[in-house]
Amino acid sequence: MNKTVLSIIIGFVCIILVCTIFMQFRVVEETDITGIETAREEELQTMLSDYKTKYEEMEEKLTDTEHKIQEYQEKIDSNEQASELLEEELAQTNLLLGKTDVTGEGIIITLTNNDEKSITSSDLRYLINELKLAGAEAISINDNRILNMTEIVDVEPYILVNEDRIVSPYVVKVIGNQTYLSSALSLKNSGFIDSYTNTGKTVEMKQEKNISIKAYNGRKNLLQLRYAKEVNE
Amino acid sequence: MNKRKIAFTLGIVCIILTVAICVQINTIKNANSTVSKGFSEDNLRDEVLKWKEKYDRILNDLDVAEKNLTKIREESTKDDTTSSETEEQIKLNNNLLGTTNLEGPGVEIVIEDDPNPIGVLEDVSDHIVHDADLRAIVNALKNAGAEAISINGQRLVNTTSITCIGNVVKINNEKITSPFTIKAIGYPESLVAVNMNGSYIDDLRDWGIQVSIKKLNKVEIPKYTGVISAQYMK
Repeated sequence: MNKTVLSIIIGFVCIILVCTIFMQFRVVEETDITGIETAREEELQTMLSDYKTKYEEMEEKLTDTEHKIQEYQEKIDSNEQASELLEEELAQTNLLLGKTDVTGEGIIITLTNNDEKSITSSDLRYLINELKLAGAEAISINDNRILNMTEIVDVEPYILVNEDRIVSPYVVKVIGNQTYLSSALSLKNSGFIDSYTNTGKTVEMKQEKNISIKAYNGRKNLLQLRYAKEVNE
Repeated sequence: MNKRKIAFTLGIVCIILTVAICVQINTIKNANSTVSKGFSEDNLRDEVLKWKEKYDRILNDLDVAEKNLTKIREESTKDDTTSSETEEQIKLNNNLLGTTNLEGPGVEIVIEDDPNPIGVLEDVSDHIVHDADLRAIVNALKNAGAEAISINGQRLVNTTSITCIGNVVKINNEKITSPFTIKAIGYPESLVAVNMNGSYIDDLRDWGIQVSIKKLNKVEIPKYTGVISAQYMK
């Protein structure tokens, strides 16, 4: 009698526990749906911080532009020459375009043809894209300054940059944040250096405190516009 | 002895069940916190919209300010030939940098993922447009003498990179997706040659990717809306 009562009680407890577990499983299944909601929330979070950053950048640019307008206005009001202001703006745009010699911290990457593998224009294009992503401000390959509309194409056995022929070793000089640049390229396996070394290509990188990059002097006419005109509405 | 064995087994089963329940309850506690986030998500959506509006407004303000700057620059140099030359040079520099809207003759290329990519034993990845394809086309256009290029409204400038995250292409830190519209200003006859037999674009067609190219008398390319700055170079 005692034994039967005991086993009935235990059996009952077991049934209750099993039921509870099933209920719990069902709730957990439902929460998987809200898991997607969390991902969307993260996306919203990134969008929000993106817009904030972009807004702040534009705010700074606006303050800067308004400041310039004010400076010009003062010159006009006092009948003075605005040449100083103009020279300043010209110098800044020349710097950003690549029309001046520049120096700064950065990295130097050397790509060399070896007995088995040659460097192609697409290797260099891929590298330049990675460097720009990592915030490069000025780039040259074998002292040919890379401008916005610079092409890098194969013309066997050369590579053509700004319509100039270049050959191995390809020395790519880059000015920008040293740490960003070098760590972007040296990511394990997926980074530029590892992935190219793994395929048997010769790539070396070194960091330098003081890199000099020459102004654009290519034969290609990249500093004039023959077809494009500014839209004035 | 037999009784003891049964009691022992039952005891162990009970312990396992209890532990399982505890684990489940913990999971649900975590899940509950995501349920309550439902409210904050709506708030977040509002917040994102608010900042987008703010951003659009400041872009407009900046547009106006930049036009005023151009005007006042002209005004300040109207009696002085040397200054006028400098002023013209600044304008040209800005056009080259990509901070102004440009128009001119050129081409428009539209390239789109293969609409029917699934074949037996085929890799879908071969039938969609990748960042590397866009980089190759852009390089071909530069080689053909393009003066300005945009992809889905994103102006290519000196600092632009074309990358991808999963299936999404990123240009100037903005996400863009297929179909891709590439606009280029330059000599149309020369630009259109990027489409010749055996070219990179032509090869894409073999993978079912849809490519169309047309010469236009007037292509409009918008300005870059980000900041190009020099922090490290002098």
